[in-house]
Amino acid sequence: MSIARIDDPLLAIRDLRVSYKTGGRIVNAVNGIDLDLHRTETLAIVGESGSGKSVTARAIMGMINDVNAVVSGSIRFRGRELRGLRASELKSIRGRKIALVSQEVFGSLNPVMTVGNQIAEMFRAHDGASRREGRRRALELMERLAIPSAQERARDYPHQFSGGMSQRILIAMAIALGPEILIADEPTTALDVTVQAQIMELLAELQEERGMALILITHDAGVVAEAADRIAVMYAGSIMEIGSTEDVYMRTAHPYMKGLLASMPDLGPSAAGLEPIPGTPPDPANLPPGCAFAPRCPLTSAVCPEVPPVLEIVEGGHATACHHSDEVAAL
Amino acid sequence: MNSAEGPLLEARDLVKHFETGRGKARQRVRAVDGVSFSVQRGETFGVVGESGCGKTTVARLLMLLEEADSGSITFKGESVNDFDRERRQSYRRQVQIVFQNPDDSLHPRHTVFQSVSEPWAIHRDVLPRREWQERANELLNLVGLSDKHAGSYPFQLSGGQKQRVSIARALALEPDVVVLDECVSALDVSIQAQIVNLLLGIQDRLGLSMIFISHDLSVVRNIADRVAVMYLGKILEAGGTSDIFGQPSHPYTKALLSAIPLADPTRSRPDRILLAGDPPSPIDPPSGCRFRTRCRQADELCAREEPQLIARTGGDRRSACHYATPEDVLRVDGSS
Repeated sequence: MSIARIDDPLLAIRDLRVSYKTGGRIVNAVNGIDLDLHRTETLAIVGESGSGKSVTARAIMGMINDVNAVVSGSIRFRGRELRGLRASELKSIRGRKIALVSQEVFGSLNPVMTVGNQIAEMFRAHDGASRREGRRRALELMERLAIPSAQERARDYPHQFSGGMSQRILIAMAIALGPEILIADEPTTALDVTVQAQIMELLAELQEERGMALILITHDAGVVAEAADRIAVMYAGSIMEIGSTEDVYMRTAHPYMKGLLASMPDLGPSAAGLEPIPGTPPDPANLPPGCAFAPRCPLTSAVCPEVPPVLEIVEGGHATACHHSDEVAAL
Repeated sequence: MNSAEGPLLEARDLVKHFETGRGKARQRVRAVDGVSFSVQRGETFGVVGESGCGKTTVARLLMLLEEADSGSITFKGESVNDFDRERRQSYRRQVQIVFQNPDDSLHPRHTVFQSVSEPWAIHRDVLPRREWQERANELLNLVGLSDKHAGSYPFQLSGGQKQRVSIARALALEPDVVVLDECVSALDVSIQAQIVNLLLGIQDRLGLSMIFISHDLSVVRNIADRVAVMYLGKILEAGGTSDIFGQPSHPYTKALLSAIPLADPTRSRPDRILLAGDPPSPIDPPSGCRFRTRCRQADELCAREEPQLIARTGGDRRSACHYATPEDVLRVDGSS
């Protein structure tokens, strides 16, 4: 693995496609996306429901094993292709080098095992730690994750934990083996806003301390603006815009992202009113041949529903998939 | 009977506790513990708070889906507590509710027309059968759907469209008040904005009162005229929307507002107030002020004496904090 150069991306995704066959229809969840993740950066994948963001996370984790699913494309971790690895080979990477925290805060923990033992189990099963050593390291992690009275709480069962505390336990388990990449899929969506602020703060600290790269998957453009270095905006299985957080928010180059920001309720002193995006997202089993956003887009012209736009560089690392990108600023 | 002067709907000292567990494990959950507010004709009253604060129980009390342990609800100047069966039925007609999840409230095997006309089947004297179709179509148009949706089933509609159907049904009996309990929380932002604008437009046309209950402060900011902030079964602060959001005076309101991430990477909040831990359990709320265990300013007065929800800082804002001070916590341009 030392053949990888230092400036190579940690994770490189090329032409990733995921489709599902359901009831004689083919649902295209991810339609050929390219993404690079660099060391220690936070890349956010933003999109609404059905945009393909969570499916992308599951594909990276090699967790799509539905018999009706077809996955194609390339996912390289430190230059090594993960697609097509045998389960035994994947085991050395999944959970160990790339870990996932999911939005299922309730239900991701074993209800009949104390949380202390569940964390300790990570060290015992994967690192060959002794029972005593596992317990010690579990406690250390719980303390780091600011779980009050960790010593006592380690003996509690999951149902005795609140949503925020459960999410801390899940983060503890995800980072237990020192992954290089942490994928957080809507990590705060089920949580109250004051707890969300605690968890996002904690994730940022852990990332800094451990030098992890973070893929943050969320529908919340507010969370993203505060946490991400770079953003990929997904819609109907495609990346519509990608770039630094500042580029994507301040020099938005795709009408979908522009619309998403305008429809967000603002907290400012003068609530200027919301500007919704008209219509609804397309049926993923029946995508238009051209741009999937065309039916809802204020800039649509004859070419849009026919010819799929490709991601083109606006400037530097900022790219957008829009035939009318130069008109977006005036929207 | 219609007192044009007073509030349309008024809740006074509402209390609702629930018993859980049996025998020695029996416990009392203080879901709503003395809540008072009033709603004027044609206004939108927002109720915000995090999970477990009691906001949904307030909605259920207003809908008479739960009976309050004590306290009163007054509607058009008359006490709902004194209503007989018939008057309660008529109250239920005039106060309607839209829930968070349309999949739970729309019958999966009923067409949109059946769902929207259901209230007329229950309240038989409202609309003669021959007018149902036409009136249902009018309602569908009002909520931005077309006549052709009348024959659709819920599974053929998107989440936003289903919520429009729920709203149409809530309007079928021409209510004076619509309670909206997290009615846009399950929707994507772009669709959520459509529904918020729809509600504002309908209110404008019909002059309804709305009680908008949500955990999402930003949405409430954009829809409500006045707001109450709830925590552990109590209202901690209430007042005009621009006062509460522009110059919150209760430490909890300040913390809530400062916790919301802003969709603007050029702004950051140097003074974010991070609350420690979770809210205490409503089974055993703290003595004195309920927020004091997570409050930076709390002292022994707060532990000893529960602050009442009263006007403390001028205007019509009420605050349940001994040390209420209006302060702009959204000052974010790095200029601290």
